Amino acid sequence: MDLNYTTEQQAFRAEVRDWMRANVPAQPLKTLEGREGYDQHVEWERKLASGNWGMVTWPEAYGGRGLDLIRWLIFEEEYWGAGAPLRANQNGIFLLGPTIMEYGTDEQKARFLTPMAKGELMWAQAWSEPNAGSDMAAIRTVAVRDGDHYVVTGQKTWSSRASFADWGFGLFRTEPDSKRHKGLSFILFDLNSPGVTRRPIRQLHGEPGFAELFFDEVRVPVANRIAGEGEGWNVAMATAGFERGLMLRSPARFQAMAKRLVELYRQHRDTASPQAREAVLQAWQDAEAYALNTYSVAATVMAGGHIGAEASLNKIFWSELDRAAHRAAMSLLGAGAELRSLADGSENSWLEGYIFSLSGPIYAGSNEIQRNIIAERLLGLPR
Amino acid sequence: MDFRLTQDQIDLREAIRDYLSGEHGPEVLRRLDAEGNRDAAIWDGLVGMGLTGLLVPETQGGLGMGLVEAALIAIELGRANVSEPLADTALVAAPLLDEAQQADVAAGTLKVALGHPINPWIADLDQAGLLYAGGIARPAPDAGQSVETVDPLRRLFAATPVAEDDRLLDRAALIAAAQLIGAAERMLELATDYAKTREQFGQQIGQFQAIKHHLATVAVKLEFARPVVLRAAFAAQNDHARTPIHVSHAKVAATDAAMLSAETAIQVHGAMGYTYEVDLHFWMKRCWALAGAWGDRAFHQRRIEAAVVDGGMTIGPDTTFESELHHG
Ligand SMILES: Cc1cc2nc3c(=O)[nH]c(=O)nc-3n(C[C@H](O)[C@H](O)[C@H](O)COP(=O)(O)OP(=O)(O)OC[C@H]3O[C@@H](n4cnc5c(N)ncnc54)[C@H](O)[C@@H]3O)c2cc1C
Repeated sequence: MDLNYTTEQQAFRAEVRDWMRANVPAQPLKTLEGREGYDQHVEWERKLASGNWGMVTWPEAYGGRGLDLIRWLIFEEEYWGAGAPLRANQNGIFLLGPTIMEYGTDEQKARFLTPMAKGELMWAQAWSEPNAGSDMAAIRTVAVRDGDHYVVTGQKTWSSRASFADWGFGLFRTEPDSKRHKGLSFILFDLNSPGVTRRPIRQLHGEPGFAELFFDEVRVPVANRIAGEGEGWNVAMATAGFERGLMLRSPARFQAMAKRLVELYRQHRDTASPQAREAVLQAWQDAEAYALNTYSVAATVMAGGHIGAEASLNKIFWSELDRAAHRAAMSLLGAGAELRSLADGSENSWLEGYIFSLSGPIYAGSNEIQRNIIAERLLGLPR
Repeated sequence: MDFRLTQDQIDLREAIRDYLSGEHGPEVLRRLDAEGNRDAAIWDGLVGMGLTGLLVPETQGGLGMGLVEAALIAIELGRANVSEPLADTALVAAPLLDEAQQADVAAGTLKVALGHPINPWIADLDQAGLLYAGGIARPAPDAGQSVETVDPLRRLFAATPVAEDDRLLDRAALIAAAQLIGAAERMLELATDYAKTREQFGQQIGQFQAIKHHLATVAVKLEFARPVVLRAAFAAQNDHARTPIHVSHAKVAATDAAMLSAETAIQVHGAMGYTYEVDLHFWMKRCWALAGAWGDRAFHQRRIEAAVVDGGMTIGPDTTFESELHHG
């Protein structure tokens, strides 16, 4: 165990810091869940790519820098430390990208990865259906083979940012009458294809962040399928693992939030309740703990280890930490918590954050489902 | 930067775990509880494993290891619920003693008790040749009458207040935190094993989702407490400036994980958990004892608050580990 950064790691940190200082937008962008904010975020994705910071762990051949996970963590620390915006392309770079790298053909890698790293192709994730939420194996949307195309018919829902994205990926039933997780395939589709209708759904905060997707005999080339026909479930499980695991919620994001929370506490200390004080200290400690655990997992993965059901521990921890910290902020703001903008005129991002934090324990596999996974796969309890 | 245990550390831990699970099982705890709670043979066995010399330099007959290894071993002592004054003597006091004293500790002929005003009582004072307090080791005073505690295998003695000693406090709180982690792990295992065997409504209770979720919640808590303890050990070993804060964090995180593990384990055991007959109570009671020793939760939270909120300690994403850039 050596918890010192090397000279190279320090130098890398300085390089990221300089670039972020020079390039992070001075004003916070509008929310990613609305059209205007989304476009601003896409612009930021392209700016990042222009500095070659789109996806630092990817191979150089696909627009990355081929860096290891420790340097990824350092990058993330500097990114969030500089107050850089949310990643508009998180579905692409954190979920689909690793999936294509593991299961895609060379042709698919060449076609999709570089545009992803450059922020030129923005992605939506389409697993959920009205009757297949937690029970993803209940997916009914079909993709029927017709020569070198699939013909897709059915409905997806809760697809984050599908109102604005360019492409989607999801699971479709390619074997008629197949049951549960058999007969599903992992397919990428152009959201602008004829036959695709997007119906934006307003989220809790009022923004049209999700969309419902209707497929009416949409023709999708077979070449857009990742891995074999009928093998979609396993591929999707790998993608879901990325979502719960290391990449999607980097600890730096929560450390930056905890720092802001401590500042908020300093301002409201005179009126803070003992519970809020406790929650603030807890949030800072939990954000630290999450970072430490991630460094430890990263080191294990770099040494050839694999993350399996452990990703479920992660998912529960960050989602509950996020919710508790935002709840504390709301408590510190007191009567002002309900206001959309704060006394100084700035946007009440704590309110926005609190609302969003309520979704963490639901998406990426609800925390109830994660607890089942931990109990059965890590503790070995009977099904 | 490599947050993994080395192969040597893993081997050391496995060797101690194997030894303790063979020689220091629950039947030993029951025997000690029934027949008097110290046994020279157990101490001799621990000495034989080299544990008293873990932190003693090789020139003094020890193994010359550091606080990271000490924390790993303390986790194992917590898992096995060892009550001999090994943690205080070998994992906390030894590096603070002079060479001759260290040699005696390594040889197993000297036990050391620890005194600090944060604790109203001193553990195993009657066994000790030395009392280490306020930065000085003196011959241990007459111990007098022990006070009874909830933990049947713990022995405490009233003591006169002594001088503050932050270094001692940090090291002892770290080792207490590590023992709490081990106890929490063991109680989760006990509860999980019980859930696989006990049947109600014609099925194993571990098939019920309510039970699964209780246990999974403990697993999450523990997973994120362990690395906090290891970072504190690393910081203490390298005399990092933030050691006190990392140690306080470790004590809070480990206490919370252990208390949750204890409360969950008794719930999963049902009324069986409320008896003296199952093994669980030994660990549960050790948790209650260690939770209050060497600074309770409130004490350590205040230390964190003083540094993080008032003290202007730099915090944020780029301050996870000590690094020169932090101050840039
Ligand atoms: C902000 C947000 C973004 C999202 N983005 C996407 C996206 O981009 N793409 C996408 O495909 N989907 C997305 N989703 C959908 C998300 O994946 C689902 O909401 C989630 O899987 C839960 O499904 P559900 O909403 O149908 O809830 P249900 O499955 O109906 O569950 C309702 C409640 O019952 C519980 N429950 C269900 N089954 C069990 C069980 N076996 N044991 C115990 N409890 C159970 C759940 O935990 C939950 O508390 C998003 C959701 C949110 C909130």
